[in-house]
Amino acid sequence: MLLEVDGLVKRYRTKDRQVVEAVKGIRFSLAAGTILAFLGPNGAGKTTTIKMIAGLVRPDDGDVAVEGHSLSAASGQALRRLGAVLEGSRNLYWRLTPLENFEYWGGIRGLSRKMARERGRELMREFGLEDKIGSTVQQLSRGMQQQVAICAALIHSPALLLLDEPTLGLDLDASDRIQEYVQRLAHERGMGILLTTHQMEVAQTLADRISIIQSGVLTLEGLKEDVLARFTGSSYVFELAEAPSAGARQLADQLGAAWTGEQEFRVVLDRPTDVYDIMRALEPCPVVRVMRETADLATVFRAHTRQSVPVQSGREAMA
Amino acid sequence: MLHALRAEWRREWVQLRRYPTELLSELAVIVLVFYGLFLGGSYMAGGSILGGRLSDIIVGYTLWTLSMMSVGTMGWTISNEAQNGTLEQVFLSPYGATFILLLRNVAGVVIGLLFTILTLFSVMAITGHYLFVSLWDIIPGLLMIASATGLGYLVASVTILMKRSQQLLNLLQFILLFLIMLPTASLGGPWRWLAIVAPFSPVVALLRSMMTHGAALFGTGNWLLWSVVNAVLWLLIGLLVFGLAQKKARRRGNLSHY
Repeated sequence: MLLEVDGLVKRYRTKDRQVVEAVKGIRFSLAAGTILAFLGPNGAGKTTTIKMIAGLVRPDDGDVAVEGHSLSAASGQALRRLGAVLEGSRNLYWRLTPLENFEYWGGIRGLSRKMARERGRELMREFGLEDKIGSTVQQLSRGMQQQVAICAALIHSPALLLLDEPTLGLDLDASDRIQEYVQRLAHERGMGILLTTHQMEVAQTLADRISIIQSGVLTLEGLKEDVLARFTGSSYVFELAEAPSAGARQLADQLGAAWTGEQEFRVVLDRPTDVYDIMRALEPCPVVRVMRETADLATVFRAHTRQSVPVQSGREAMA
Repeated sequence: MLHALRAEWRREWVQLRRYPTELLSELAVIVLVFYGLFLGGSYMAGGSILGGRLSDIIVGYTLWTLSMMSVGTMGWTISNEAQNGTLEQVFLSPYGATFILLLRNVAGVVIGLLFTILTLFSVMAITGHYLFVSLWDIIPGLLMIASATGLGYLVASVTILMKRSQQLLNLLQFILLFLIMLPTASLGGPWRWLAIVAPFSPVVALLRSMMTHGAALFGTGNWLLWSVVNAVLWLLIGLLVFGLAQKKARRRGNLSHY
């Protein structure tokens, strides 16, 4: 297995000296050639987990192994096989050009200057950015900077790539390019990719597997198709004749409505008869159409995180 | 590892070259300081300071600035990289942050030394006064920089945990200056240990006996031995403390929170 995450636990001490368990015995694995979308609400433990996998946060218990190399026992070997683009970081030297960045990041990962340059050029060509290789990073657009950061993380040809919100704040074109490239990396080149994002449409497009973490516990894990199929029978779309009142909208929200427009929302219901509860909540707003449909990831995520109260850790919770 | 050293060297050099105004202003400061030392020194001594004493001043000043650079570089690197959002990528290097910081320090010292040599030659050409510096002076210089690197790791440890190091650096400069000015070599009894253990103390005694009394490097009693012991001691303390500080920052999960 490419990545083995075995019982990671992380506790933090708050300012008032209370101990908070941010990650509670998380256990999962990732095979080569697979994209795993690691989803969860804010504060669920996603970033802590991804940083523990990168060795930037030290777990209180558990371990991570990349291609069989333990991060605690052989961190150098594990880190050689891992690349990461972390959210909230620039990940690059802005005063240097992409090529100079590749030389540096490649060099401190053991690559010769020649190899780093060749690999960097190849990566930039794949993104269609070869004409930007000599501009300083600060002169590039936000989307281009993010693409260069991905190239820099791939400079040493890692087997595992960690992507923390890779398309956040990017325009459609840059986001599409990155998504297309990430899919090629996994499905054509056999790289394993762990992706965290709040953009459910990105996760739905890219992921082969879905994991949802809540309050430090994995509460859902499985193949994307299986996860969507589990919720499909109970997913409904409501179309209204006019925008509902604020109160009605709030009531619908409480029942799990995911609004796709002013007059349309999707919802996952526990029982088909719950449709009437929604209708009552919307009254007197006229309903034009109610239809059972294939669930999308946003609806599944909303329904799952609203329903599940995490009490178990590890795979037991995922069944 | 050689690739990492070359990468670090190139990064420093490219950044210097890219912004020539910064490079020129740095050079101008060094030129002015040396020019001031040349002219001011001879003025204050009524024209008789040239020769050996001036060489001592120049060597002393150069070693002091390079050492202070080594003390400050690693702490500054950590806070600067954290603010610029590149620190986590540095920590992802399989060589480890301790080694990468050391390389950065080495690259900084070498560039600083090159600047100093270049400037010295320019100032000597302008003033017509030439200095004669023994190659043996390099050894105490290296020992001093090794001690300074150990102190640099201590500053980096404070930076990584407390997120602030500027005040500590200011304080440290005064403490180190005090230790250098203190004639620890002539202290007797239990105070003699201070001369051996305090950072820079034995190497300053060594340099003093070499420069002021004209002693040969290997003819300075035990000061060369104590200087080596002192340099190794402070380097090891620095490495040990930085290793622990890194572990603690990773355990707290605030490696890059600034």
